Amino acid sequence: MTARLPWFVGFLARRLVWAFITMLIFVGVLLAIMEVWVPYNWAVIHTRQPSDAAATAQTTGLDIPFPLRYAEYVVGLIQGDLGESFGGSSVSGIIIEALPVTLTVFLVGAVLGWVIGEVLGRIGSWNRSIVTRSGFSIVAVASAAMFPPFLVFVLVTTLREPMLASREVFGLPEDSLVLWRDAELGTRGALLPADVWWVLAWSLSAAVVGGLLARAIAQRRGHRLVAMLAMPAALTGVCAGIGLSGIGAHALDIMYRANVAVTTHRLDPTGTGLGAAVTIGRGSPAVAMIGVALLTFGSVMLLMRTSMDIQRTEEYVSTGRAKGLPEHVVRDHHAARNAIPPVLAGSLLTFPTVLAGMMIVEFEFQLQGLSSVLFSAVETQDIPLISGVLFALGLIGVGLRVVTDVVVATLDPRRRRTGPIPRLPA
Amino acid sequence: MTAGAVPAFEAVASPRARAHVLTNPKVVTGLVLLAMFALLMVADPLLDATLWSGRLHVYDPQFGFDATVAHPSAPSVAHWLGTSSLGRDVFSMLAYATRPTLVVALSAAVATAVISVLLGSVSAVRGGWLEGAVTHLSDAMVLLPALLVVYITGIWRPGTEFGAVQLGLTFGIVYGLGPATATVRTAAEEIVARPFMEAARVAGGGDWWLVSRHVLPHLYAHAAVQSMIAATGAVIADAFLGYRSAIGEYVGFGHMVYDGIVWSELMSGIAPIPWWIMLAGAGGIILLAAAFYLLGVGLREALDPRARSLLR
Repeated sequence: MTARLPWFVGFLARRLVWAFITMLIFVGVLLAIMEVWVPYNWAVIHTRQPSDAAATAQTTGLDIPFPLRYAEYVVGLIQGDLGESFGGSSVSGIIIEALPVTLTVFLVGAVLGWVIGEVLGRIGSWNRSIVTRSGFSIVAVASAAMFPPFLVFVLVTTLREPMLASREVFGLPEDSLVLWRDAELGTRGALLPADVWWVLAWSLSAAVVGGLLARAIAQRRGHRLVAMLAMPAALTGVCAGIGLSGIGAHALDIMYRANVAVTTHRLDPTGTGLGAAVTIGRGSPAVAMIGVALLTFGSVMLLMRTSMDIQRTEEYVSTGRAKGLPEHVVRDHHAARNAIPPVLAGSLLTFPTVLAGMMIVEFEFQLQGLSSVLFSAVETQDIPLISGVLFALGLIGVGLRVVTDVVVATLDPRRRRTGPIPRLPA
Repeated sequence: MTAGAVPAFEAVASPRARAHVLTNPKVVTGLVLLAMFALLMVADPLLDATLWSGRLHVYDPQFGFDATVAHPSAPSVAHWLGTSSLGRDVFSMLAYATRPTLVVALSAAVATAVISVLLGSVSAVRGGWLEGAVTHLSDAMVLLPALLVVYITGIWRPGTEFGAVQLGLTFGIVYGLGPATATVRTAAEEIVARPFMEAARVAGGGDWWLVSRHVLPHLYAHAAVQSMIAATGAVIADAFLGYRSAIGEYVGFGHMVYDGIVWSELMSGIAPIPWWIMLAGAGGIILLAAAFYLLGVGLREALDPRARSLLR
């Protein structure tokens, strides 16, 4: 008998090839939109040569045929180069600097919203009262149809005072960026927020992967206690490590760091002066995460409730009840596990909506993430920078998709053999 | 898309399915909300002709100004929903802004439905390279947020060049090529794999006959759901574009939210927050978006026999 690779090696390889092809097409569409649909007068603005169209095209490279430009962009992409912004700096540099804030807000907010939606959908399906069901529906629809800037305004006006009060409880200074500048790890010098973020991200993901591996090995060898404790132990270990290394206090400050008033400028194409500079954003990433969660949970909740409703009619639910299992065990351990995969797949399709909503929320809170890069790039018509940000968003999407596919395949062994387009059984 | 995410819908044409759709509480609520907006749209010219006749300089949604009160003024008998910071009557703004927003929603819905039905059915029936191309294209387009595309392509164009129809079509094309095609194509594939398709092929059916007679009736429901979800997104995208490019005389739901927020930030601590402007604008956006969303979700529930059996 030959040694067999674990199923996820082949599965992951297939998904990565799929992700690569998808990104190639995505970049093609992106460039087509950016350079054919958008170019209103960006080339003129960029080169400041309004008189000579041919010279402008030559300077900006717009006279090169589109397939060649696409090939050039892809070759640069593979080398990690997204081109140069009109400001003269490297697009990939700007994006890598802004990515941590966005990823933190988006991942925490979206995962929080997803979990809230999943739990509420699960409970909502088991509750047969018409009042509760309609109440849940109204809340979910309000979440899905919400106008993000209005939500941010309501959150900021209602939460500003409590947030400021809690800063005093924790003894944090008014300008918490000071904390970041003074943060020291060991003997090395001051840290940038992004540095702390990467330390946290890498150690947390290493702990999760290590914990999962340890659990899988222990399960295979039959050590049930070790298998049960592996994940909690890994997470406790990494949290203790972060706390003891001295960046723990500053890690907490991710929650507070942007609680500074920032002035924003609005588009004013007509020059009427009505779009004068206005101070809007006075929020914190923590509230932004709450905002993203509030925008996300509604559609997930409705999907989960429908999926659970379908599972309720299955025979194994009656069997579980007949055997005397408590109702919550039937619901959470039997029905929910079967109900989750379609919800995961369905929520992947709502991903662009969620991401767009998140960009607006982040921007309205004036967090220095991808959204501030994107919206200021739109104002200056900085085409390479806009394409770069949209590419980064696409990359996040593809990453999420691959992770979700692996999760679904872990929950449901039938999905492991099928490729990217599984067929339903007849 | 993972299998199982797309339910097997009944053909919409059957009277039984129609009865289920029309008794679904979500669909009914959505239709009632839409009817309210239709009334609002009709109310505007009617009020101009009757109650407000001769006083259009006060009640004009764009250039109206009431010199007798300080603006923004709270809701009163003269101004049912108050006035904005520029002195415009909020109710007439709300009524005036309904029509372009409905045009945006409808054009997005139509574009989404046409694109997803066309690509979904043709790729599932023809198979081969066409199916691969459509699958990969929709997988890639899912990653592109339609709201951001509308914003980026529309923000620098004047309203005459990028009006309600263009905005809706842009949103509908991006959404239609992405999530909508992904969903409809999976559903079409599942239908093509059923035995009756084999039978129809054996009976000598050509591609066009197969598509129009056997595939399309099953796809309309999926396309309807997707186009309603697209309309939801388009309403929000339109409002966001208005919110970001809010300038002088233009009137839209997003502009009203912007007006309220800017006034309360400028007058922070000096004047109370003029909630009525923001609530009118945001209420318009949220209720209209909710109407389309309810229609989409309600259709999905009503046409999926598995989900429906429980709601009795």
